[in-house]
Amino acid sequence: MLRARWWKILSIILLLYTCTYGFLVKVPKLDDRLQESIRNFFFHVPMWFGMMILLFVSLIYAIKYLRAASPVHDIYSMAFASVGLLFGVLGIITGAFWANYQWGSPWVGDPKQNGAAIALLIYFAYFVLRGSLIDTEKRARLSAVYNIFSFFMLFPTLWILPRLTESLHPGGQGSDGNPGLNGKDMSANMRTVFYPAVIGWTLLGVWISTLHIRVQLLKLKKEGLL
Amino acid sequence: MFQLLQAKVVENSSIMVQQGKIYIVMSVVTIILVGLFIYVATVDKKIAALENNAKD
Repeated sequence: MLRARWWKILSIILLLYTCTYGFLVKVPKLDDRLQESIRNFFFHVPMWFGMMILLFVSLIYAIKYLRAASPVHDIYSMAFASVGLLFGVLGIITGAFWANYQWGSPWVGDPKQNGAAIALLIYFAYFVLRGSLIDTEKRARLSAVYNIFSFFMLFPTLWILPRLTESLHPGGQGSDGNPGLNGKDMSANMRTVFYPAVIGWTLLGVWISTLHIRVQLLKLKKEGLL
Repeated sequence: MFQLLQAKVVENSSIMVQQGKIYIVMSVVTIILVGLFIYVATVDKKIAALENNAKD
C-alpha cells in the first residue's frame, strides 16, 4: 500500500481536474464579490476535509499503538498528524485571505475561525509534547494518549461551538445557525468539482504522509530496531 | 449565502470568465500543481531507491 502507485495517480488526475475544471465550471449567480471568489471553495474547504480525515487516521494509529506498543504505529500516527496539521494551517491561512476579501478583515472573530484556531493550537501542543520527551517509548505512549484527547477536542471546536452562535460562514446566519457544510446547499455543478477535490487533496496528503513514514521506517531499520 | 448558492440562474457571468482572464489563473495554478507533483514523485523515487538499498 505504501508503495502502490494507483492511488497516487488518482490523486494527480483528481487534482488536475480540480485545478482546471474548477475554474471553468459554471457557478451560481452570486453577489459580485462572492461571484468572483467562490471557486476558492474547491481549495479552502478540502483543506479542512483533508485535515479531518488525516487526523482521524492518526487517531486510529494512536489507538493501535496503545494496543500493541509497536514503534511502527507511532511513526504512522505522527506522520498523519503532521500532514493533517499542515492542511489545517493551510486552511486557516487561505480562510484568512478569503475573509479579508469577503468579510473585510482577515480575522473577524468568526466562531468557526476561532474554533479552528483553538483546534490547531491543541494539535501544536502534540508536537511540543513529542519534542519535549527523549525516551522514545514514553514519547510514543504519552503522545498517543494526547492524540486521542486532541482528536476529541476537534468536535467541540469545529462542529459544536460554532453552531451555538451566528457565523459568517455559509449557513451560519439567523436561524440556520449551522456553519457546517451541507452538500445539498451546493449547486450540482459545484459538487462535481468539490467532491473530487476533497478526495484528490486528501490523497495528496496521504501520499506526503507515506513519504514521512517510509523515511522514518528506514531510520528504524538502520538503527536495527525493526 | 446558501440561498444565494442555490440561486436558480446558473451562468458564467463572472468578469474573469467573460474576459477570458480565468484561463490565466487556471494555467498558473496548474503549473504550480504539476511542479509540486514532479517534486513529490521525485522524493518518492529517491526513498524507493533507499528502500531497495536497505533490502540488499
